[in-house]
Amino acid sequence: MILIHCPYCDEKRPEIEFANAGQAHIARPIDPSGESDADWETYLFIRANPRGRHHERWRHVHGCGRFFNAVRDTVTDKFETTYKAGEPRR
Amino acid sequence: MSEALIRYEPVPETPCVAAGVTISLAGPMQRFALRARRAEDLETVLKVRLPRHIGASEAGIACLGPDEWYLRAEAGATVPTDSGLPVAITDVSERSICLVIEGPRAAEILMSGCPLDLDNFAVGRATRTIYETVEVIIIREAEDRFHVELWRSFGAWFWIAITNAASH
Repeated sequence: MILIHCPYCDEKRPEIEFANAGQAHIARPIDPSGESDADWETYLFIRANPRGRHHERWRHVHGCGRFFNAVRDTVTDKFETTYKAGEPRR
Repeated sequence: MSEALIRYEPVPETPCVAAGVTISLAGPMQRFALRARRAEDLETVLKVRLPRHIGASEAGIACLGPDEWYLRAEAGATVPTDSGLPVAITDVSERSICLVIEGPRAAEILMSGCPLDLDNFAVGRATRTIYETVEVIIIREAEDRFHVELWRSFGAWFWIAITNAASH
């Protein structure tokens, strides 16, 4: 089982306590009704899906309950780092 | 009024006694889910000190998350709720039951379904985690005694899983 470092609990916890919540650092547009259809589509559906280094949101759902960001390699499934929500991209 | 109702528990009231471990149902107690951005606000309302470190517990209050605490007190206890401060205090007494896992094999039995390393889980620590598929709050009361808080509706399944583990 993978151990994931929760930046809020500040310890490594078993993977089973966590839930993936998709790509990180996607900001909701300030004025959604002012968006063009294409921009809105990009915001809603278009994701990076890289092979390799990927920024993701995770939630320590069966622990402290917090969302945080993680950098994970999608090939090796290794977590490079995790950091609190709101902190700059790493 | 509620005293007149018959209490129904989802697990047997007779403890499960196995080699090195006893699993029993704790009596009814008052439970409160406490939420606040600032711990100081809750401290002002409750007039107690809150543990600030996630996973710590102090005087019946466990810190579960950065803005979440869990208070357990004796049945009938009340807390002030009309403070005007931005805090949420919710009585969740009947949401959970508490099972007491006691004996030299207590940690071993819990680790049969919980991925945490409970051998290195200090006395006084409390955390939300998973046992098999059930979300639980584990509180280490003493070296050989754990309290496991779980939702009432998961009680029957949890009882089967843990008593099975205990009898192996």
